[in-house]
Amino acid sequence: MEEILQVTDLKRVYGKGGAVTRALNGVSLSLKAGEFVGVMGPSGSGKTTLLNCISTLDRPTSGSIVVDGHKLSQLNGKQLAKFRRERLGFIFQDCNLLDTLTAGENIALALSILKAPAGEIPGRVWEIAELLGIGDCLNKYPYQMSGGQQQRCAAARAMVTHPSLVLADEPTGALDSKSARLLLERLEVLNRDLGATILMVTHDAFTASCCGRVVFLRDGQIFLELERGGSDRRSFFQNIIRVVTEMGGEMADVF
Amino acid sequence: MFSKLAIRNVRRSFRDYGIYFLTLTFGVCLFYTFNAIEGQGAMAYLAQREHPAVSAIMMLVDIFSVFVAVVLACLILYANRFLLRRRKRELGTYLLLGLSQMQVSKLLFLETGVIGLVSLGAGLALGVLASLGLSALTLSMFQIDMAGMLGLTFSVKAAGKTLLSFGLIFLLVMVFSGIRVSRSRLIDLIYSQRKNEVLKVRSLTWSAVQLVAGVLCLAAAYATLLTFGMAIAVAVLPICIPMLALGTAGTLLIFRSLSGFVMKFVQGRPNLYYRELNLFTLRQWLSKVHTTYLAQTVVCILLLLAIGITASSVGLNNTIASNSGYQAPFDITAQNLSGDEELVDFERVLNEAGFDTKEKLAWSCTAVFYYNDPQVTGLENASAALRVSDYDALRLRQGKPAYSGPLPCKADNLNEELTTGSLGLSYVLIPDEMAQQLSPSRQVWSADYLADKEETEAEIMDTIRSLDVPFASWITTRLNIYQDLMGSKILALFLGLYLGFTFLLAAAAVLALQQLSQAADNAGRYALLRKLGAEEKLVARSATQQVALAFLLPLALALLHSVVGMKAANDLIATAGKVDSVASSAVTALVLVVVYGGYFLATALACRRMAKSTQ
Repeated sequence: MEEILQVTDLKRVYGKGGAVTRALNGVSLSLKAGEFVGVMGPSGSGKTTLLNCISTLDRPTSGSIVVDGHKLSQLNGKQLAKFRRERLGFIFQDCNLLDTLTAGENIALALSILKAPAGEIPGRVWEIAELLGIGDCLNKYPYQMSGGQQQRCAAARAMVTHPSLVLADEPTGALDSKSARLLLERLEVLNRDLGATILMVTHDAFTASCCGRVVFLRDGQIFLELERGGSDRRSFFQNIIRVVTEMGGEMADVF
Repeated sequence: MFSKLAIRNVRRSFRDYGIYFLTLTFGVCLFYTFNAIEGQGAMAYLAQREHPAVSAIMMLVDIFSVFVAVVLACLILYANRFLLRRRKRELGTYLLLGLSQMQVSKLLFLETGVIGLVSLGAGLALGVLASLGLSALTLSMFQIDMAGMLGLTFSVKAAGKTLLSFGLIFLLVMVFSGIRVSRSRLIDLIYSQRKNEVLKVRSLTWSAVQLVAGVLCLAAAYATLLTFGMAIAVAVLPICIPMLALGTAGTLLIFRSLSGFVMKFVQGRPNLYYRELNLFTLRQWLSKVHTTYLAQTVVCILLLLAIGITASSVGLNNTIASNSGYQAPFDITAQNLSGDEELVDFERVLNEAGFDTKEKLAWSCTAVFYYNDPQVTGLENASAALRVSDYDALRLRQGKPAYSGPLPCKADNLNEELTTGSLGLSYVLIPDEMAQQLSPSRQVWSADYLADKEETEAEIMDTIRSLDVPFASWITTRLNIYQDLMGSKILALFLGLYLGFTFLLAAAAVLALQQLSQAADNAGRYALLRKLGAEEKLVARSATQQVALAFLLPLALALLHSVVGMKAANDLIATAGKVDSVASSAVTALVLVVVYGGYFLATALACRRMAKSTQ
């Protein structure tokens, strides 16, 4: 399988002189096409910094990130925008839909920004919305939909452009467990049927247990990697919990 | 410490204060300029000659200034309210940190003071320059040479008036912001940003219905105005009130529904709808309609007033101007109304009194009007008769050809300029020899000065006043007419421009503030667009398009209203004289472009910067 994401010895240092914070301290990570990888870790372990660096919102201090053959450090502002809209899809914790647009328009906007031919936009929007189970909400405004529907709409917006890599930052963070399960189910379907590569940051063990592989971060470094392999979701969940407990009491909130 | 914090706050939030500052400065400049007209160009010329129009103009300017000050005060309070709303969180933080409400009020007090002082200074400086411009404009309107009247002047009286009015306005603003702070609750200040805006969903079909209703209302109002004409439509209340109501309702409905209608229209055209950020821009517009349509209607009406008043005052001014040559073909005209009792030899009378007509006058001519006897001339309906040789002499002096046509002839339709000042006679032209059969009724003596016009006129008037002659009270001079004209011209132009500018300023500032407050709300949306990969250029363009929609739509509708209004007004003014509508439209357009365009640019730039600065 080809490599979609290759992160090598990534460092990100905030501050100067004596008061430096090493948010990332030499992280190396690689994702193959079609993988669904979770990143876990306590607060301050560097999860969000890693995601921000990969999503080009933040620039690393050293190290390299290669996405789909593009070395991020070599892109300028305009190329970065192009890179973001063509290769990346985002799902945020607070779904971040535009409140003035209907669900359908929110999804279509991603295609408009990509300059997709106008004729095929409604069809593609419909297709992805059906896949995520929000086909009947396309004409609703975000505030008319439930939190789960909003988050699936955000997922549809991220996926509709067929990005090389989907970055999800705590997508279930603001959802109740039923909506969270529905969203994760759909992400798995997208991963399996469309072959989408997903990198998801979470600190919820249940959410992480639907990934094929989980990377644990601590103090800006990779602490451990866990492969799901052939095991079922329940035993993978148990494994994750074990690692979390091993990492320290910081994540007591997972239970 | 407070003054330091206040100055730092003002400097840091200059972006927010920019439009506020601009509005204050323009307001001060406008106020000073028009209160300083006494010492300016043509007004100074009139004031030196103690012309009665001067005191009338100054009185009207004073009355209008009160009105303008009230409008500006409302505008400044509105702007201040907008600023305070944007700073709710900051003020909440001060309170949270333990400052008392008194101290926060004091801080705002100082900030308003700093802004007020700076804008007063800048406005007065700008006002001195604007006075110079206005002087040049008024001087250029008159044919009299007034070189040397132009120069930079500073009117202490006007500056004092400006300081007083704006000092009061700032005090009012300070009191209001103090009250607002002491009344607000900390929890509201801190959580002000978390309150979501409730979006109302509107049916697009309903929009279309409203738009059609709006267009029909406007059409009915326009039809009323054009059918009845300006004079009747404005003066007769049973026609005037429904017409204005229809016009306002139509404007309101159009602003309320236009975005929905356009949305429906564009949605049917995927190539346009899905292009770049079009759907985002359109939705932004649509979502703001229920908060902006009232303001847009008000702005549209203010713009209409500004355009209408400016254009009519300039147009009226040109009408008066075109009447001036008609009334004053010669430097002086004296009439002897009792020609049937005795005929006067004007030159001899003057020479005997010590006024040398040969040396001081370039040209003079005495024309005699006779009683018209229909049995002799064969023409009725005219009270006087004039010999064709006199007639030709008066015409030749003006560079016009001699009369060639049948004689005798009724001269009503010739509409000639034979005297300075009005003649008040209808006459027939007769062959010279026919005059022997008629008896004289009136002698009309006209002359042009040779040397310096003002000196000669003073001298000849002194001479005549010292004599006891019947024609002494029937003298009209070109200078007198010009001064009278100048008075009415300045009155129309100054007051028109004053009000027009005030309305324009108010309209532009209201729009600018509204757009800026929306741009602040939009910052998060732009950040999201950027995360989705939208290019900087597209985001900035969308921000500009939204500002442009807000500024250009009221302008477009106001222009349409004023075209119809000016058409009706022209028909009215045309009965008095022809309005030079091209020139007046050009001046109006220039004024509009400068002020409104300036606000549009400032707002668009600020909004673009706000869209950009949220990374």
